[in-house]
Amino acid sequence: MRDETRGASVSASQGPKVRFERERGVYSISLTRDVAHMVVSIIGEGTRSERIMQVFHTLANAQVPIFLVKLHRTAVSFALVAADLTRAESVMKMAGMSMRTRSDLAIVAVIAASMRAVSGVMVDISDALYAAGAHLYGTGDSHDSVLCLIEEERADAAVQQLCLVFHLDRKVVRERNLTEAAR
Amino acid sequence: MTILVQKFGGTSVDCPEHRALAARKVIQARVAGHSPVVVVSAIGRAGAPYATDTLVTVLQNIDPQVAPAPREMDMMMACGEIISTVVFAHTLQTLGCKAIALSGGQAGIITDPKFGDARVLEIRPHYILSLIEQGYTPVVCGFQGITEPTDEYEHGAITTLGRGGSDTTASALGVALKAHGVEIYTDVDGVKTADPDLVPKARTLSVCTYEEVAEIAHQGAKVVHPRAAEIAMDHNIPLWVKSTFSDAPGTRIAADDIPEDVRHRVTGITHTGRIVYIRLEIDDPAHRPIVEREVYRMMARAEVSIYLVTFSPTALSFAVPRDLFPIARDLLDGMIVPIRHSVPDVDGKLATFYIFKFSEGLDLAYSVQRPLLRNVESQVRIVDVPGSIIENCTMVSVIASGHRHSPGIMALIYETLMDNSIDVYQTADSEMSVSCLVPVSEVKRAVSLLHDRLFAD
Repeated sequence: MRDETRGASVSASQGPKVRFERERGVYSISLTRDVAHMVVSIIGEGTRSERIMQVFHTLANAQVPIFLVKLHRTAVSFALVAADLTRAESVMKMAGMSMRTRSDLAIVAVIAASMRAVSGVMVDISDALYAAGAHLYGTGDSHDSVLCLIEEERADAAVQQLCLVFHLDRKVVRERNLTEAAR
Repeated sequence: MTILVQKFGGTSVDCPEHRALAARKVIQARVAGHSPVVVVSAIGRAGAPYATDTLVTVLQNIDPQVAPAPREMDMMMACGEIISTVVFAHTLQTLGCKAIALSGGQAGIITDPKFGDARVLEIRPHYILSLIEQGYTPVVCGFQGITEPTDEYEHGAITTLGRGGSDTTASALGVALKAHGVEIYTDVDGVKTADPDLVPKARTLSVCTYEEVAEIAHQGAKVVHPRAAEIAMDHNIPLWVKSTFSDAPGTRIAADDIPEDVRHRVTGITHTGRIVYIRLEIDDPAHRPIVEREVYRMMARAEVSIYLVTFSPTALSFAVPRDLFPIARDLLDGMIVPIRHSVPDVDGKLATFYIFKFSEGLDLAYSVQRPLLRNVESQVRIVDVPGSIIENCTMVSVIASGHRHSPGIMALIYETLMDNSIDVYQTADSEMSVSCLVPVSEVKRAVSLLHDRLFAD
């Protein structure tokens, strides 16, 4: 919310104590349910780049948004909204591609200020997911987050372990729904 | 009167002509009815006589073998802004503006005691406010604060805020003073769609969201420091990026009143520094997660941050900054991960030892340690983990808010690069951006081509 006192007279009195900067290290966790994962083989005719391009074009033409995209030597993997999986599978099959999919997944994201300047987050995440019995299907990282694609049924346990490892209160956990966000 | 925080970077105060132009902006703000609070960086960039890097060298040159204490290093680094602040306050005075120079401590900026990378804990604005009431224009040292004066151990020691510290000072002061806005003055006329050194026809954005500018800053553009953008975002302080050297309107950064087409668009193309991409082949998919965890643990112990982590059933890949690569390589070369079998395997082996091996010439520790394992080979399976390296990569990023809900951006980026024979080693994506790891030698071409494609009209 906008601070209504902004631009007030210079003699404005001081308000309550303000927190200026974000905490160092991990300060939040988000959980996104209803995520699917697809691994598409790029072995076949044409160059590797052409095959990758074909995967991206096929999905783009079918209006399927993808994320957590990773390039492997013989495959491309990515996540997608679970509701889009059937359509994605169908267009990929029509394009003659072979794939493996999984739909009952969730993304647990660990949020930190300047993540790429913080060392040791990956091992803590890895230990927490191991303790939660969660299998990692994919990862992604950005300047402020590490995203882990895990089984949805292990998501609550994973969040609990991550809160323990990073000394976070359960109330800093945000739940997101990709299908609703996409609308 | 409303308070307006105006921050001037090093190139805006590095010579009398530039200082006169900067002073003009302050006087214009006064004429427009604002009470300006000025924040300045040290004069000039590396090599300039009073630049922070130059001052640090004075200390380091006393004995290059002995690192200066962090507390004393911060005192030295803070001198650059103190000189600049005094010079700029006096410049304003000579132009008839009642100005007063303040150190970070005098401005009430209290930080934690992490020297070299302190965080702003509190700002006590009463002194600045009383000076403004008396008609002064306070000129505050950027990049610095002090620890709590009553702190038993550090007792009001001078601290510095780390990279981008002056932007952080400006944003935090804007919040503490409930300012009308914060103006960041630099040598470009706003937030650009690409680095103008690489893309001369890069455009200036008239408006940006906080999220976009924070992402642009994190992905390598040097326009506003991400910490400053985050403070402004968290407290909803309007921010402008403007040029000291022109009257161009600059870029407005705000959350409110942003049109829908700004919330879902491509904002710009950025690039980061040098990166090395490491790939490790791990023989057994069942053991890969265990080996992977030990790699993470080793990197964490040496404080090597890793990113762009990718794995397949039998491989793990990740990137490290170029300057940390020798540490990462030395740690991994010859590293052994022992895994005990719950039952002996078909050959009767009780355990598997994974030993990391880079290519010839980079495998000194491996070549020493591998022969030592021969004694246990009758009971233990010894498996090499071959490591390969792609040196001299960089990350080129397309900042695109809402791309996860608009299909096709990855296809467009990949196609643009591949059609021009630019290798893409890996990709990464976040809510706000799509990044590609490309050879550093191709960065100019990659940024230009993507800019041409995405800003075609």
